[in-house]
This record gives sequence, C-alpha cells and structure tokens, in this order.
Amino acid sequence: MLQVENIGYRIAPGLSLTDISFSVSAGEMLVIMGANGAGKSTLLKIITGTLKMDSGALFLNKMPLRFWQSRALSTFTAVLQQQNQLQLPFSVYEVVMMGRYPHFKTRETKSDEEIVTEVLHKTGIYHLKKRNYLTLSGGEQQRVHLARVMAQISGEKKEDPRYLFMDEPSNNLDIRHQHSALKIAKDFARQGNCVIAVLHDLNLALQYADKVVLLKNGQMMGFGSPIEIMTDEAISDVYDLPLSVFHHPGSMHPMVMPLDNNRLIHV
Amino acid sequence: MSLKRIRITGISTIVLLLIAVLLAMGIGAVSISPLQILAILTKKAGMQLNVPFTTVQESVLLAIRLPRVLMAVLIGSSLSVSGAAMQGLFRNPLADPGLMGISSGASLAAVAAIVLGIHSNTFFSGVLGIYALSIVTFLGALITAVLVYKIAQSGGRTIIATMLLAGIAINSLAGAGTGLFTFSANDVQLRSITFWMLGSLGGASWNNVLGIIPFTILPVVILPRMAKSLNAFSLGETNAAHLGTNTESVKRTVVLLTALCVGASVAVAGVIGFIGLVVPHIIRLSIGPDNRYLLFLAPVLGALLLVSADLAARTLFIPTELPIGIITALIGAPVFLYIVIKEIKTQKII
Repeated sequence: MLQVENIGYRIAPGLSLTDISFSVSAGEMLVIMGANGAGKSTLLKIITGTLKMDSGALFLNKMPLRFWQSRALSTFTAVLQQQNQLQLPFSVYEVVMMGRYPHFKTRETKSDEEIVTEVLHKTGIYHLKKRNYLTLSGGEQQRVHLARVMAQISGEKKEDPRYLFMDEPSNNLDIRHQHSALKIAKDFARQGNCVIAVLHDLNLALQYADKVVLLKNGQMMGFGSPIEIMTDEAISDVYDLPLSVFHHPGSMHPMVMPLDNNRLIHV
Repeated sequence: MSLKRIRITGISTIVLLLIAVLLAMGIGAVSISPLQILAILTKKAGMQLNVPFTTVQESVLLAIRLPRVLMAVLIGSSLSVSGAAMQGLFRNPLADPGLMGISSGASLAAVAAIVLGIHSNTFFSGVLGIYALSIVTFLGALITAVLVYKIAQSGGRTIIATMLLAGIAINSLAGAGTGLFTFSANDVQLRSITFWMLGSLGGASWNNVLGIIPFTILPVVILPRMAKSLNAFSLGETNAAHLGTNTESVKRTVVLLTALCVGASVAVAGVIGFIGLVVPHIIRLSIGPDNRYLLFLAPVLGALLLVSADLAARTLFIPTELPIGIITALIGAPVFLYIVIKEIKTQKII
C-alpha cells in the first residue's frame, strides 16, 4: 500500500504542490489528472523518489520511501517515463531484458528469459524482438518500454504488493494500443498490485481508474472514485473549460465532452 | 547478437593480439624469431630450450622490446576500456577522453611538472618519479574531466554537443598553456615536451611499465564489472536509477578510473588520441552495443591496435620513428568524422 501524507514541494516561484494526501491499496489503479503544468509529473517524480519532497511523508508497504534501498525498490517497483532517451542500437529483446537487471547479477537466467518472452507476447511486440530499437516508430518504442517495466515487476514476488508508476502511458499510442497498454496496467493491479498513472485523457481515466487524484496549480482538488470526483463542476474548473460527464448510450460508460457554446449534451 | 558470434570475435581478437605481440617483439633492427623469443623468455624463467640466440638478441628483447610491447598493451587496453565506459556513461559514441580534452589536461599538467622541475626532482627518481608524474597528470585529467562534465550538464541531462565544444576549448587552452611553458623551457625540457605533445612509446622502460601498471590495470579489471549498470545508463540516468543502479557511484568510478589511466599513459607516452573512440566503435559494429561484451573485448582490441600501431610507427620509416599519435590520428580522425556524419543523419547530437 502506498500512503502519501501532506506532501509539499516547491516547483517554481508561485507554484507549489501543497498538502497532497492520498493512498493506493493493493488491487487499485490510481490516476493523477490535471491541466498542463498542474504538477502531475512532479508529484509522480516525488512518489518514485526522483525528487525529494520539501515536507510531508511517503510510505511504501508501511515503510518510509527514503528507508528503501534503491536496489530493493527496483525489484518490486517500476517506472514508465514519458520520455526515454535510448540512443544505442540495442535490440528490442535486449531493452526488455534490461527490465530484469535488478533480478540477476551478471547473466540472465532461464526464468528471466521466460518472463521477457511472456511480456513480449503480452504487449504485442514479440514479432519485433530482434529489431533494432532505433528503427522503431515512436509508438512501438513506447510499447518496448512498457514491456521493459512489466518485465521488471513480473515473475517471483519479492514484496507484496508491487508497484507500477506510469507517466502518460498513452503518449504516442494509437487508440487500440492506448487501451491495450492500460488494460495491461489494470490487469496488473487486479492481481493484487498498485498502479499509479498520470493520464491526460479524461475518458481513459474514467474507464480505467479505481481512484483519481485531481490537481490544479499544485493543489489537490479531489481524491476518490472517478464518478464521485469527476463532476461537471470539478473538471470544468480544473481544466478551465466547460466540460460535461455523460453516459455512453449503449454501455452506460461515463464519458467526458466539452460543452459546445453552452449547448448541453446530457443524455 | 548471438553468443556464438561474440565468442568467435573474442577468440580471434585474442589470437591476433598474440600474433601482434610476437611480431612486435621480433621485428626491428635486430630480428628475433618467435622460437627465439620463447627461448629467451623461458631462460629468464630458469628453463633451457634448444634454440640458439645471441646475447644482443637477448638484451634487445628484455631491455627494449618487451617493456615497449607491455606498455602498448597496458595503455591500449586501459584507454579503450575507459573510452567505452565513458561512452556508456554519456550515452554517446563520441565521448572520448581525447576529444573531451581530458588527455590535453593531463599533458598540460605533465608539461607544467617538467618545466617547474617537479619531474626531475631527485627525490622522485625511477619508478617513484613515474608515480609522481602519473599523479600530477591524473590530477590534470581529473580536473578537466569534472570541468567538462559540469559544463555539459544541463537540467540533469548531458548535452553531447556542449561537451565536445567544451573539449575543443579545453584542448586549445591546454595547447596555449603548453606553448607558454615552452617559452621558459630549456633544451632538454623542450625535447621532452615535444615528445609529450605527439605521443610515443619510444620512452618505454621497465621503470615506466612498473610505474603505470597499477593505474592501467585498475580500469581493465573494474570497468567491465559495471557493464550492466552502463547498459541501464543508456536508458537515461533516471531510468537507470529505477533499475536499481547507484548512478552517482557509477559516474564517479568511471570518471575517476578514466582520469587515472589517461593520466598514467600521458605521463609515460604523451597524448595518444582516438584509441578510446575507434576501438569501442569497431566492436559495436561487429557485436552490438551490449557493454557486458563490449567492456571485455575493448581492452583486447585496444591492446592489439596499439601494439600494431607502435610496430608501424617504428618500422615504416626506418631508421626514423614516427610519433604513434600521428598513426592513431590517421586511423581515428576518419572514424570520428564518419560517426559525426552518421549521428547528424540520425539527429542525435545537433
């Protein structure tokens, strides 16, 4: 379980994360939302230990984050970044195998190889495994990194629950692969793990999140289930645009649409 | 890349290195056959082989050729492995101790030490003198490395173009500094300054070999152990940290060991450029970028290349000897240009 208590962090003059508190239990997928520059990525960087918070407390499986050794942490948490800067001609297989690095000393074992093969299938890039990473499209590269982080937290459990952190996992992906990436994350959460993702797309958030955190200018505007938090008023305020939540006629899935010239689109 | 291919490449490089070493020990004004080399070496170890050789051959081999070949092996292997590690650290095939100005920093320190008389101080004679000079050049190399690194850092990322530009600036600064010192140098000092600037293994002696052994062996032994971390570094520093890499310690170790061996090799052989650039590049072309193989193969190929280059340097224009820096630059500069052109095409550095 991840507990975030009263985190504060100064991002820039006049912009600070203030008093952020929420928790994620095993089995849950939490989505962090907010307009550009609201502090979503900064918050994720604090939770993953890349940035040090100015105030507040952070607990991972009941232990303060700073007490975790980075070696130990890397065996049960994985971070999918928004941008990856790989410039060497590694093969797709080799990149995904890097996800297993925390689990072996110098040479990969049979079980590492099996895990990599399995996630390559799961992420739909098995056919690319021998390809040079640098020759892939942006979307394919993003899927390689998804496979890499999934490989990192698959296999034998060393801590329970495990954690997957994602910054804009739907970037560069077409609609089919956006859903397949989020489905993989959701399935991972369903196996008793925690997923914390920053997402731009409100509809994807409504569809996949168990809980959402809504940020505006570094302030937390709400924490709870999507239906509870993502009211018309709240999201219109956060994005500074008249927005409305309605339900898809067939499946009754909640969806978000901008209001066109004050004409309501409620169904 | 398949393990089989990597193994074949590895074994054939080792065999070629052995052949190059035998040739380098045998060819010259006094020629010595491989069997005679074996006989002389085993005699030294207390065994008698039934192969005749002259005392001239024996002393040429033991006093001149053997230390020279050993020096080429030590310098070639350590410069190559540290070049490869630097490139892993900076995630770019152009990160070379020479291009980054680290070698110039070391040579400036060496020239300063000679002119200011630290080197000729009687207290530091023999092996101790080499240690003293190595430490001075190590400090010169280290200061330059840290300086270039700090300049090239911007918001947690290393800008490779900035790093190369900073390298150019430091290279010319060190050139100017060296020029200044030459004004106040006497004739003997002037000759050894020229030697430092062009690079040569002509000063090889057992003292020099013993003097650089600790500084050149350390990178060859330690850096390959960091291969996995350096692979993780290719994903960016943050990703490497998320994969459990202690990024600060990796950075510190690689920079320190590089400065150590660059310093030591400049102290005894002057600036020998491009080895750290060319060797890793050739290996990446043949077996791929995985540091777990690259860092093991780089020292072998580096030794092979420098032993061969030195053999060429002293036999191409007998009786004069070419500075080895000229030969490595003749091979290295075109490779450098080729990598630059390739990098610009893939829009990686500009």
